[in-house]
Amino acid sequence: MDLTTIVQALISGVLMAGIYALVAIGLTLIFGVVRIVNFAQGEFVMLGMYATYWLWKLWGIDPYASLLITMPLLFCFGVLVQRFLLQPILHAPDLAQIFMTVGLSVALMNAALFSFTADFRSVKTAYAERALHAGGVTVPVTRLFAFVGALALAGLLTLFLTRTDVGKALRAVAQDREVSMLLGINPRRMYLLAVGLGTALAGAAGGLIVPFFYVFPTVGVVFGLVAFVVVILGTLGSIQGALLASLIVGVAESLGILFAGADLGLVMVFALLVAALVFKPLGLMGQA
Amino acid sequence: MRRAAAAGLFLTLIVLPFLLPNPFYVHIVVMMAVFAVLGGAWNLIGGYAGQLSLGHAAFFGTGAYVSTLLVNATGISPWITLWLGGAAALLLSLPVGAICFRLQGPYFAIATIGLGEVLRLLVLHFREVTNGAQGLTVPFKGEAPWQLQFESKFPYYYIALAMAAAVVLVTRRMERARLGHYLVAIGQNQDAAEAIGIDSVRAKGQALALSAFVTGVAGVFYAQYTYVVHPDSVFGLGMSIQIALVAIVGGVGTVLGPILGAAIMESFVQSTQIAFAGQYPGLELIVYGGLLMAVILWQPRGVIPWLARVFRRAAARRPAARGAQA
Amino acid sequence: MKGEALLQVEGLAKRFGGVQAVADLSFDVREGEILGMIGPNGSGKTTTFNLITGFFRPDRGRTRFAGSEVTGLPPHAVCARGICRTFQVAKPFRELTVLRNVLMGALLRHPDPVEAGARATEVLRAVGLEGRAHMEAGSLTTIDQRRLEVARALATEPRLVLLDETMAGLTPTEVGEAMRLVAGLRERGLTVVVVEHVMRAVMSLSDRIVVLDQGAKIAEGSPAEVASDPRVIQAYLGAEYRRA
Repeated sequence: MDLTTIVQALISGVLMAGIYALVAIGLTLIFGVVRIVNFAQGEFVMLGMYATYWLWKLWGIDPYASLLITMPLLFCFGVLVQRFLLQPILHAPDLAQIFMTVGLSVALMNAALFSFTADFRSVKTAYAERALHAGGVTVPVTRLFAFVGALALAGLLTLFLTRTDVGKALRAVAQDREVSMLLGINPRRMYLLAVGLGTALAGAAGGLIVPFFYVFPTVGVVFGLVAFVVVILGTLGSIQGALLASLIVGVAESLGILFAGADLGLVMVFALLVAALVFKPLGLMGQA
Repeated sequence: MRRAAAAGLFLTLIVLPFLLPNPFYVHIVVMMAVFAVLGGAWNLIGGYAGQLSLGHAAFFGTGAYVSTLLVNATGISPWITLWLGGAAALLLSLPVGAICFRLQGPYFAIATIGLGEVLRLLVLHFREVTNGAQGLTVPFKGEAPWQLQFESKFPYYYIALAMAAAVVLVTRRMERARLGHYLVAIGQNQDAAEAIGIDSVRAKGQALALSAFVTGVAGVFYAQYTYVVHPDSVFGLGMSIQIALVAIVGGVGTVLGPILGAAIMESFVQSTQIAFAGQYPGLELIVYGGLLMAVILWQPRGVIPWLARVFRRAAARRPAARGAQA
Repeated sequence: MKGEALLQVEGLAKRFGGVQAVADLSFDVREGEILGMIGPNGSGKTTTFNLITGFFRPDRGRTRFAGSEVTGLPPHAVCARGICRTFQVAKPFRELTVLRNVLMGALLRHPDPVEAGARATEVLRAVGLEGRAHMEAGSLTTIDQRRLEVARALATEPRLVLLDETMAGLTPTEVGEAMRLVAGLRERGLTVVVVEHVMRAVMSLSDRIVVLDQGAKIAEGSPAEVASDPRVIQAYLGAEYRRA
């Protein structure tokens, strides 16, 4: 185990962290505004992946370019989910909220299985094999693009939330529903926006990783679980927390794979969650 | 009146296997009984205490694996490993509760999903011990009652029925005891419960331990009945969801809910499997997911509470109703 | 022993992020008395209750009850020792009946649910809620919900009861009823600490009053002494200015 291998693992971890951050931010946004924990977030990533795959397979559209199509598509899907599945149970007990999105997750996963079969699919792009080399460390350009893309989207979202009126309205609803209503903000519309955005971000994450990740019906499960760990670790509802936590999780997973084996990466992530719960139960951002 | 109905039901259940046309239907009722046990066990922590677990497969699989490994390694009777499997699951529940109970509703659920997944991955990883993805088999001994193996499905049915009856009785006892009341209080408002002297961590821990034990025992039974344990099925998220669903569809926090839920769920699963005859992979699970969403939209509390409301309204409308007190 | 210190709070302090919610707070509560705790909003009254009853851990300081240390004990243990509190925003077990709510409290000292049920019925009679025993707690009126909070606390057979703004939002008649309820507690041998904003109630009920401002004790004494204390007046007027 030499230094180069470790550095390689660290870099891989950081790059993947960008993707986890994107999925987690979507999740934390939905929770922050609508107060519903979306167990189907991973499946939204899966949907983004399949959409990207089919756009490439049928019409040869480059995965990065197809973001322009898949993001609006998934945004609309999120809006529909909020309007018909979540809105009715907004004030229902925890049980209802959990199982609604669990049901959605199961339905989506199996709809994919049914429609596309369990076959592993992949997208081959011209630049898939290209990589940057420096000091013994290899960085495939596809992973780099994914990382940059994720950060760019996260950055755009932050700008949206802090600089635009609509974004501020969204944050207002997240902070205090009743007061924001007094200010003339329509919470229902904000819910639709939040879920739409959260879904679009998850779908974008899916699209960004398709160039180097296999697409199959249950691929979302891992992303959903990791996103949850990130959100809990980073404190529910905090975007900065999600960014910081995703870094920790990405690196932990990567080091876990390096030292314990490829199939135990997720176990490392959960070990991290357990440690987090024991030492910092409210997450990194404390009393959010 | 109710005693007579209960006695009648009990008798029906006892003679049921003899009334069924072929072993396939007996298999179905065995599975219903198993899920009634699982749902009932889940109900203790998920229904009464309000801690929704989506990781009960962890306890199920632990029971199944511990038992099968012991049976394979030492030839010990599964009648003994029934208790050992349950105990193993109970031990597992102790640290899980200690760590996870500080989490609120949905986050507790996620942590439990993690638990199931971690165990599944660990079992897959340590394949020298667990035989990895190929799973374990129970050594076939034909008709061997002392090894909990029978050639006919009937004995399995009666064992499962006895377990389900035990769960019903235990749930009723608990409901009426202090623990049962405390769990309901915690489910309503944990802070208020703490303020009036209820040790919520201890109460939830007890409920979880009991729940895990029973689930582990059911896991051992399942291993003996199906002769095979696979990590993806016994530790899988699908199993966890099915277990929770049985209690939810039937009615959380009620004694009979899981029984009814198991009957409904298993009929549903079997009929969709027959209808789609394995032609379309995933289709019955889509319907599953759809059913779950539909149930939540329509009656989030489950069928039993809905029925209870329906009966109460019907009884209220009949002025001469006798013995209508439920 | 009547008149002796039942509860002793010494040097309690608690900080939340940048706010010092409670700062070096010390006071005694004497057995058999009704102690009023007043102060402008945000002066740390509820935080003090939370610190005493274990919902928060103090950064510094100690709490002693009946001679033994209770600092840092979890809420259920504090209750078992004999201190019970109500919440500023009532937390009834909404879907349960009034009787069952109180039964939950009675189970602490009477583990047998049947016996606890009998005790609960007695307590309901004491607070005047026996007529509502089978109503769903969530459907009670405000005054009755307050009664229920008190009943539930009473059922745990405490020696000290901490009442957090029991009279907030009540009509003058209801305030009178609440006052009789609180006075009745003392008659049953309990010691009571009352946090209130309804001045006439606190002033007439309390034997002594402690005044908090910005987390610190600024005055202590009989209602008359406190009412004419310039620091107290300044704190309330000052609070007005601070808000502006």
